[in-house]
Amino acid sequence: MRHRRRLVLLSLGAAAALSVSVAVAQTPAYRAPHRADGHPDLSGIWQAFVTANWDLQDHEAQPGLHPELDGAYGAGPGGQSVVEGGEIPYQPWALAKKKENFEKRAAVDVSDDKKWHALGDPELKCYMPGVPRATYMPHPFQIVQGSNGTMLMAYEFTSATRIIRMNWTQEAPTDAWMGWSRGRWDGETLVVDVTGIREETWLDRAGDFHSDKLHVVERYTPMSPYHMMYEATLDDPKVYTRPWKISFPLYRRLEKNLQLVEFKCVPFTEELLYGKFRKPGAR
Amino acid sequence: MKTAALSALAIAIALTGTLTGQAPKKYSVPKTPWGDPDLQGVWNDATSTPLQRPNGAKDVLTDEEAVDFQASLANDLTRDRRDGGPEVDVNRAYNDHWMDARRLKITADHRTSLIVDPPDGRIPPLVQLSPERQKVRADRAGAAARFQAGLPDDFTDLSLPVRCVIRTDSPPYLPTIYNNDFQIFQSPGIVAISPEMIHSARIIPIDGRPHLTRGFNQWLGDSRGHWDGTTLVVETTNFRADDGVIFLGANAATFTITERFTRVDPTSINYEFTVSDPSTWTKPWTALIPWNKIDPGEQMYEYGCHEDNFDIVHFLVGARNRQKNPR
Amino acid sequence: MRARLLSFVCAMVLGAGATAAAHHAFAAEFDSTKPVRFQGTVTKMLWVNPHAWIYVDVKKDDGTIEEWMIETGTPNTLLRRGFTKESLQPGTEIVIDGYQAKDGARRANGRDLTLPNGKTLFLGSSDTGAPGESGAKK
Repeated sequence: MRHRRRLVLLSLGAAAALSVSVAVAQTPAYRAPHRADGHPDLSGIWQAFVTANWDLQDHEAQPGLHPELDGAYGAGPGGQSVVEGGEIPYQPWALAKKKENFEKRAAVDVSDDKKWHALGDPELKCYMPGVPRATYMPHPFQIVQGSNGTMLMAYEFTSATRIIRMNWTQEAPTDAWMGWSRGRWDGETLVVDVTGIREETWLDRAGDFHSDKLHVVERYTPMSPYHMMYEATLDDPKVYTRPWKISFPLYRRLEKNLQLVEFKCVPFTEELLYGKFRKPGAR
Repeated sequence: MKTAALSALAIAIALTGTLTGQAPKKYSVPKTPWGDPDLQGVWNDATSTPLQRPNGAKDVLTDEEAVDFQASLANDLTRDRRDGGPEVDVNRAYNDHWMDARRLKITADHRTSLIVDPPDGRIPPLVQLSPERQKVRADRAGAAARFQAGLPDDFTDLSLPVRCVIRTDSPPYLPTIYNNDFQIFQSPGIVAISPEMIHSARIIPIDGRPHLTRGFNQWLGDSRGHWDGTTLVVETTNFRADDGVIFLGANAATFTITERFTRVDPTSINYEFTVSDPSTWTKPWTALIPWNKIDPGEQMYEYGCHEDNFDIVHFLVGARNRQKNPR
Repeated sequence: MRARLLSFVCAMVLGAGATAAAHHAFAAEFDSTKPVRFQGTVTKMLWVNPHAWIYVDVKKDDGTIEEWMIETGTPNTLLRRGFTKESLQPGTEIVIDGYQAKDGARRANGRDLTLPNGKTLFLGSSDTGAPGESGAKK
């Protein structure tokens, strides 16, 4: 145990220089209230406060897509990497693709069905963000932990939802934007295995991406009444040279009577997507 | 043929059983570990019973009539029909494989309408609408006509469901031809209902907190629940009314909906809703729709909609092409 | 009795379709004057909502290949009917019977799809909605 702790401290030290991710190596001192089934209760409204949705890796503040129109409103914040080790281990072809994604993140063209998803950040188009991106969108999400072996995770962004099925063995019947989630308990930690994520989702606005072989394993560990630690390991042999991991705290939203409010963004995108198909002279 | 009195009696018995929140048979609703009635699971509300009673129909079918009806329906909707010419045949590609097979049933109590009040099973008459409301309705009708003709001006001529903004996820929940599944989750102080189409959950606090402030509006409204015995009662207000498209053209400012969910046996929930809008209908009206657990393996699948909604472009580009090259 | 029930059937079905009107009518998108019927090879199936799409390579008389997209229903309903990703593999020969898109694109609604052995897919399902359809394996 001492040896393991030393290793953990060493890796923490190395990682600290490159990222703000935190490894949860030991059983946390905090024990969340348990439900009748003997497991921690994760119900509530949670939110991440990292800037990973702009860029998982280190990033400076940057102007928006149209600074001549929206000045500081549209600009993106800077932030430190949430990737353990600092960088995503792309294969060389994939690093080039990521850069191309970023350059074309606002290039939206849906006139050809076959190229519908070829260009543009899906977030810009109000498509469901996938996993793990949904966790670090700048919006809250809510966990409703059922008592029948299912959990609802409801995200404010585009009212995306996913169902965590506990101890479920069936494989994903088809791919889904929010993937196929199977959960289990590992002591005080909820472990969620996610497969079948639509390959068209991005991991952030910087163009970070994956293939249809992406396999995500999430860990949610309560650390105090007010926060839990979120870790996600991403494994995709078509895109990365090895599995890699992100981690950051999720904070419990504490405001009295707080609820998720709608962020149904489809109407905010229709002009962008479909405006050019308008009848000339109409409206 | 039943007399009107017997029909009314049949309806009254059905109504009484529901409105007082009691099950027709003695059924002890299971409880969650924290003591709330347990509604959790995946439920399906598919049915061919129409919302409104067809003109001239009796209130309730006999068992024999129900069997006959369902057999006719199954035959009608699942066989390969080629009559009527190509204009009718085009629409027949929207055929049986698209559709929830469970819709070939009518409700177990053999009613001929989902509406149970008023007793004639029909939506009450409209009140005199203001000129503004009439104009909004006329505008929507114009948009729908352009769409049906294959010549929408732009995406606003398409309905909200076609645009994937809301579909059956906006209350009240009405059965449709597919994706009639709902999953209910409960945790202390919360009941969450997630319809399959379009994936938006209603997370309903049952802790007595107030609604959002008046004017803070949402597509799915703002819901608050409480238990009345074993019945979950949900009041929803604060609906948006963009372009006058709230439920059946009602007035969002005065529209309210109360829903009641009662588990009446291990595999059934009675879902009852009452909608009220004094500036649209002469009186409130109520419908009762049974929700059924089909088997333990039933599950929900994701219904992404906007993400791959190629048809929006097909409709619009097709319209532009045809306007350039009219035949 | 039978005649009255039949008209009742029509009325009920029309009534039940109230929300179906909220979804698109094929007549708005596909052209009844442009029926299509061809044999082709399935290259892939897009399991997406609101409609799944079958991609079919059609060999023309001059030997060139045209790619067509065939519109089908929601994957969720297909899965519940026991139709899975394994049910229609790439390389399967099928005959498509449908109507072409009004905008002239190589797109059709799948009125009727027939396998080489004569079995018809999707049409006239023998499943009349009895309980006990294929559900999930836990």
